Amino acid sequence: MLSHIETLIREVDGRYATDNELLFMQNYLQTARLRFNAYQKIQKSERAIIQQVKQKLKATEPQLLRRGKADISAKWQRDTVRVLRFCAHAMLVADEEGLEESLLLWFQSIMRAFKAQQSCDITYKTMQDVVRQYLTPQEAELFCPILARARRLLGQ
Amino acid sequence: MDTPSVSAHKLRQQHPQKHSHYKFSEFFQFNATEGTIADWNGSRNIITSEHFIIGLLEGLEEEVGAASAAVMYSIGVEWGKQDSLFFDQWFEREYNIRPQQANLMFLLETWWWPFTAQGWGRWEIDMTDRQQGFMFINLFDSAVARTLGDVGKPVCYLYAGLYAGFFTEMVRKQLSCIEIQCYSMGETYCKFLLGAKDRIDAAAFWLNEGATASDIENRLRAGYTSS
Repeated sequence: MLSHIETLIREVDGRYATDNELLFMQNYLQTARLRFNAYQKIQKSERAIIQQVKQKLKATEPQLLRRGKADISAKWQRDTVRVLRFCAHAMLVADEEGLEESLLLWFQSIMRAFKAQQSCDITYKTMQDVVRQYLTPQEAELFCPILARARRLLGQ
Repeated sequence: MDTPSVSAHKLRQQHPQKHSHYKFSEFFQFNATEGTIADWNGSRNIITSEHFIIGLLEGLEEEVGAASAAVMYSIGVEWGKQDSLFFDQWFEREYNIRPQQANLMFLLETWWWPFTAQGWGRWEIDMTDRQQGFMFINLFDSAVARTLGDVGKPVCYLYAGLYAGFFTEMVRKQLSCIEIQCYSMGETYCKFLLGAKDRIDAAAFWLNEGATASDIENRLRAGYTSS
């Protein structure tokens, strides 16, 4: 949405926008209520979502929360909370492209530096399953593709 | 291009611990009244076109001929050394730890991100051979090579110097760097070899003799240091 608005302002430049150019706003308005509800649910359930993802990871891939002998689950949690919040914000304002520019491209290189791609891959795959318990199917339809994008970029 | 400056970045002052600040509208601050552009770390930036890069390289070549490559490399070395000192300051300010205490790969990614945001391209470091005293850097979208296009020879001397200068300052040991594969040779990305001078001299010799980047990699890994 925000990227679209910036493009619109740049492109329109002294004339009126065409119906076609305004279509994204109509699309946004049609889903705005859903986005707002989903955002509030994620905000309220953040702690539970993170804990559930962590428990699943501990049960299936415990080595991902350790580096050698060190327990890195606190660091994992900080990183995961950050990504979840950015993703929720991207959903609220319908700006997936902005999410890449503002977080994912940078974070991808940081995750690679720490060789955390596998951890990210499983974390954001698991998170898609977990958030479905907190959102309606329509809300999940808006949010899960954003988590999938985070998984695709951070997990490779 | 960036030059040291004291320009304060307002967004950084409001969010000094924000690390993901490389979005164009966040990283750069356009000071309309002064007509200046500052980046997140307080460097003054100048936006240039590809014509500027061509003008710089061709102008230099006209002035000093074949020595222009060495001049560009030397400029890069000085830039890298200066930037290493500058980086130490802003890294410690932003992360509250000294660079020596940080994870090496994280440190290097953090150093290169402002360059990526400024349009110098993305990189990838291959440290597999670090214990043997050399490493490779892959550079995607070199501003110099992308501008010059396929001219059949390596052109990124400025980058080679930048890496040599930065790493020399960082490890406090004299290092050299050579571009062994370039986008301007028709390759898809540029590849640099960083190491002690004798290794780089050997690689330069092999390159002159027509060796490819992978020939050079193989020879270095097999322990050759001369012809």
